[in-house]
Amino acid sequence: MNTCRHVAIGALLAAIGFGASAAHAQTSEIVAAVADSRGKPVADAVVVAVPVEANVRIVARMRDAVVDQVGKEFVPRVMAIFVGTTVTFPNHDNVRHHVYSFSPAKRFELPLYSGVPAQPVVFDKPGVVVLGCNIHDWMIGYIYVSESPYFAKTASDGKAVISDLPPHVYTVRVWHPDQDEAEDTTRKNVDTTRTPHVDAAWQLRLKPEIKIRRAPMGERGGRY
Amino acid sequence: MLTLANAPLATAEQTFAIDAEIFHDSNLTRAQYAADIRADAAAGLNVEARELWAPTGNDIFNVAAFARGEVYRRYHGLNDVVVGGRAELRHKFVLGYEAPWVLVSMEGSHDDYNDTLRDSNRFLANMELGTRFTRRWDAAAGVVYDRRYDNHGESLVPGIPGTVFDLRGFGGYARVGYAFNEIVYAGARLGVRRGDVESTAQQSLPIFLVSTAIAADPVFGSSDLYAYRLRGTTWTGSAMTSIALDERSSINLSYADERTYAAYGNQYKSRVVTLLLTYRP
Repeated sequence: MNTCRHVAIGALLAAIGFGASAAHAQTSEIVAAVADSRGKPVADAVVVAVPVEANVRIVARMRDAVVDQVGKEFVPRVMAIFVGTTVTFPNHDNVRHHVYSFSPAKRFELPLYSGVPAQPVVFDKPGVVVLGCNIHDWMIGYIYVSESPYFAKTASDGKAVISDLPPHVYTVRVWHPDQDEAEDTTRKNVDTTRTPHVDAAWQLRLKPEIKIRRAPMGERGGRY
Repeated sequence: MLTLANAPLATAEQTFAIDAEIFHDSNLTRAQYAADIRADAAAGLNVEARELWAPTGNDIFNVAAFARGEVYRRYHGLNDVVVGGRAELRHKFVLGYEAPWVLVSMEGSHDDYNDTLRDSNRFLANMELGTRFTRRWDAAAGVVYDRRYDNHGESLVPGIPGTVFDLRGFGGYARVGYAFNEIVYAGARLGVRRGDVESTAQQSLPIFLVSTAIAADPVFGSSDLYAYRLRGTTWTGSAMTSIALDERSSINLSYADERTYAAYGNQYKSRVVTLLLTYRP
């Protein structure tokens, strides 16, 4: 499965510089609006666009990324990156953190550290990576590793803009940490060849977020 | 990056805790008969300074100094001030929030009551094994050794000491908790303890026969009442719910039902309801 994915990604990347046509010189954008089942805007949803055709020129926007630790939380809580991106995990707290992930897309551990860990982490497989801290159990973060460089994350108004898209037909899908349905069920084909600006909307079914509680408990006293 | 480079070496975390509570105890005297039972409500305040280290990614070492006081509505002899310290080590056996852990803690305190008879030093040792099954469910079980040192009681009966609050006991407990969400948490606990207990009651043969210490106990305003030390088994069932007000505070309601069984048919029941507001500045 992973080998297939790598081959597919390789094919996409290999297409860079090939298959470009003059007709694709201008770019377009998809403005995605994501709401929950009651119509309330959903923040932190990742919207990914994958060209339907295989031999599409991919403009890979490879850049390093940072997941910070501030106030004993991961910042940002949700981050989307392109596969192969290198992520550093600086700790801006005055206590040490021990960052880990058991996710199949990337298993790693950054043993107890403060400041900037010596080695950044390369996310070389598409998928969702759930982050935790072994000292502060309530800390949770998500890295969405996209096989396509065309993605964006929704802001508090539930909107995300995927820009600089070569005009093509894209399969667009949405992922959110609290999603109560398979990501694949959100797939939509979006055609950007006719207009440079396409609006698309999704309504997600979300389940209540279960975070480990950070607030103190009334732990004192033998009465309880 | 410059900020990080100049950051102080992150070794320990200092935190404070303030707990304010009111509670009602249905049987402060731990007496068997209605004529001896005294109930009262009290308000308490606990302040605690903590220093927390994580020597490894799997260990958290916590030391704390605390002071607390309780003021009773009717029985002012029970008003007390307690100062003490605690050290605890929590070790996770593997990585992850669901990792099972062991907690070992030791606590010592000096309890200064309005009533001299109850003045004492306490020592508490606790070992607990626990785990979080999911983000919602957690459970733990542990053992506790408690020791209360007291030498204030005067002997009333030849051959029987008056140190009724010189107590020791050993017990175990199991508890389970469920988080409805990030705000509401509920828990239940069942504990058993075998050891010395103190009961204040009027003179009677059954309690006299099992007592290992007896002293006059004027705290409850009656010259007929005596404090007895006896050995018994205490079962405590309790339930609590905690509502987070924000990341730093919560309001907690608990109910505990305590039943003590001793020889010669001596047995006592008490119920304690506590409302506690906890805050971590």
